[in-house]
Amino acid sequence: MKLVLYSGGDEKANLRLDQEFIRLLNKKNPVVTFFPSSSYLSEVEFRQFVRHYSQFGIKRFIHFPVDVHFDRVLLEEVLKSDAIHLGGGNTFHFLKSLRKAKLVNALKKFALDGNVLTGLSAGAIMMTQDIFMASYPEFDRDENTVHLKNLNSMGLLDFQFFPHYRNSLRYEKAFLQLSKKDPRSIIACPDGSGIVIDGETTKFVGKSYLFFQGKKLILNS
Amino acid sequence: MSVAKKISYQTYSKFEQINGEHPLKSRIPGAHIAYQARRRKDGKVRFFNFELAQEMGLVEKGHPSQLNADLEKKILETFSLVIINDWDIENNKKFPDHEILPHTYMATRYLQLQHPDKLGRTSGDGRTVWNGMIEHNGLQWDISSCGTGGTRLSPACNINKKFYQTGDPSISYGCGYAEVSEGMETLIFSEVLHQNRFKTERLLGIIEFEKGIAINIRAYPNLLRPSHFFAPLKQSNHTTLKQLADYYIEREIRNKTWPYKKTDDLALKYDQLAEMVTMNFSSMSALFEDEYIFCWLDWDGDNILMDGGIIDYGSIRQFGLFHSEYRYDDVQRFSTTILEQKLKAKYIAQCFVQIADFLKTGKKKSLQKFKNHALMKKFDKNFEYHKNLNLLRKIGFDELAQKELVENHVQKVEKFRKVFSYFERSKSKKGIYKVADGITQDAIFCMRDILREFPQLYSVKKTFLGPKDFIEVTKSSYAKKADLKLNPIKVRQIRKFQEYYVQLLSTLAKKRKQPVDNILLEVIMRSSIINKYDRVTGNSISFVVEKITNSKPKLSPEETFQVTQNFKFYQSMDPDKISQYSIADQRQKNLFNRLAGIVRENRESL
Repeated sequence: MKLVLYSGGDEKANLRLDQEFIRLLNKKNPVVTFFPSSSYLSEVEFRQFVRHYSQFGIKRFIHFPVDVHFDRVLLEEVLKSDAIHLGGGNTFHFLKSLRKAKLVNALKKFALDGNVLTGLSAGAIMMTQDIFMASYPEFDRDENTVHLKNLNSMGLLDFQFFPHYRNSLRYEKAFLQLSKKDPRSIIACPDGSGIVIDGETTKFVGKSYLFFQGKKLILNS
Repeated sequence: MSVAKKISYQTYSKFEQINGEHPLKSRIPGAHIAYQARRRKDGKVRFFNFELAQEMGLVEKGHPSQLNADLEKKILETFSLVIINDWDIENNKKFPDHEILPHTYMATRYLQLQHPDKLGRTSGDGRTVWNGMIEHNGLQWDISSCGTGGTRLSPACNINKKFYQTGDPSISYGCGYAEVSEGMETLIFSEVLHQNRFKTERLLGIIEFEKGIAINIRAYPNLLRPSHFFAPLKQSNHTTLKQLADYYIEREIRNKTWPYKKTDDLALKYDQLAEMVTMNFSSMSALFEDEYIFCWLDWDGDNILMDGGIIDYGSIRQFGLFHSEYRYDDVQRFSTTILEQKLKAKYIAQCFVQIADFLKTGKKKSLQKFKNHALMKKFDKNFEYHKNLNLLRKIGFDELAQKELVENHVQKVEKFRKVFSYFERSKSKKGIYKVADGITQDAIFCMRDILREFPQLYSVKKTFLGPKDFIEVTKSSYAKKADLKLNPIKVRQIRKFQEYYVQLLSTLAKKRKQPVDNILLEVIMRSSIINKYDRVTGNSISFVVEKITNSKPKLSPEETFQVTQNFKFYQSMDPDKISQYSIADQRQKNLFNRLAGIVRENRESL
């Protein structure tokens, strides 16, 4: 599996993660598909995405919003891409749309087949077992406007991922509390940092924090 | 002093200039009827366009998008009025002096084909008066209000040969009132089109009364229509026609929208006026055709402004597909189709050639005499030029590329346009059938979808799509199995479409000495915005307005303004103008999601 989990932040802050992404891609003239979390103004996001990654020499892109109708021809090409990037936004809306489009398992298979799957914020949470982290902590969560009850997601990772983490007492308290109740480890990343998974190797880029059984650890400084 | 504090002390004095006075009154006495007016009570501000008000200088730049007591009072004092109409006078109605406004308000005369007279002697603003004119940053704006009472220029008065009391429930349109829903439709539609660089009237505000009745306030730099000129033309009234032309030209020069050098040669000015109308109406009709804008143009020219701007959204639609057989059923007759608009636009231009000649010679010649005038050829040439430019823009080429291709490789562009039209104009075998307000025949291909997806697919596959895949991408929801059946002609056209498309990319790449992939990448980014999946149609606008007006609790004027802003940014299809925009308020977000759902559901409809 080749995964890159971005927390958030601007292009400059994510340079190291982007370099890791390009390394994982390791292909001449690759095709990269952008899955926005919602079609709303996703064309603008897509344009920014293309402008950014074309600086790394990538020239072939597909824009694939999943909450609107799409045709078989485009989907076939999407699943043949070398990399898929899952965008940020409302995690509940994103998961509901992916499920409605019957793409959760297709994306899982895409990653298990050795293609590169990357995600930013909501897109990164989507790779874990479920999207519970989108609803936690109460003071910093996505609104479940689509009333999604089944939060199960791709299940590619056995830890929970929290993006946009702020290293403050409030966040620390909330995650320490959760880690006492939930046996899964929680990896919290501030903007600009993230996780790179290349087969058996897991690499933390930038400062990341692990919360496990009521304890907090700094994974990389 | 903080901005908030400074604004709270504003007097909004510019509103006081909007008092019924307008240069047209004295300059062209024959072009209007002046009505006294009185204050109308119990109105509330339902909507105020803070953005437009800033552009017009009515509120200061940076004014918060919030009403305050002073501003609300000023809006109501300025616009909440009703005319003392012919029925009031005939019935000797008396009103307290303090309710009567100091100046009169104009109902302007223009030609309207639904009037029995057909010469424009009895027609014009039937339920509208002009509030006045203001100037800001060198630009003069006309302001008028719809729903201010029934005038003697309404069709009802002239067909039934009697005056009507304002608000008379026995007669709908002729009663002189307007509705909130009409104002909201105009608001949403015009803001979306304005955002996408269309020339259009805009809504400054809506004042709401009981039972959904409203005064809808419109503004534009010049509210004169061709039909204003056609009334004196039909009557062979040289004096009024000359006054109108001179006034119009002066105003355009002042507003810096007159595209010619200064001259004192009156004859030359009239020729320039005819040329300007020709150029405006040829490019406008090409644009309407290519953006699927249905605007019922007819020989009276009352649904359009002099510069080709849209006015009166009652009969305006934007189709999702090229439903070129749609006709609106107006009881006595059917409207023109989208393809017939060009001929009507050309006819309007021809009338201006006739006007120029009449003004210069003092003799009105038959319109037929100008059928082969040089400007008519210019109309056709400019129409074709803009059809080519529009298609290249829709593909995703930037302005420089469009010009390069149209000016130096027009044959390649036209070859592509021909095959593009083949698909765009393909109709369902179902044939013509009735819809709620007219007749139509379904278009079976969604050209926006293929223009958005083809560059991405070609960039990835590096080969052409097979016929079946091409049809899979391009088919609309209206297409039935029989419509999509492949035959040798269709297969050949599919091949040509892709070949000629790529030929355009290669031509530009060669000119720019760049790899085709670079051109393609730019086209991919631009076309995904220009041809985005969600695009409003006439049907969706009606449902969107229904959703907004029925929102519970009722949206405040500020919330309505915010919804409009959100909606127009969402509907921006201009890759050179677009900006990131996010909705913070949860109520707005929820409402917006519903509106987006409506747009999506109706995206291919009428």
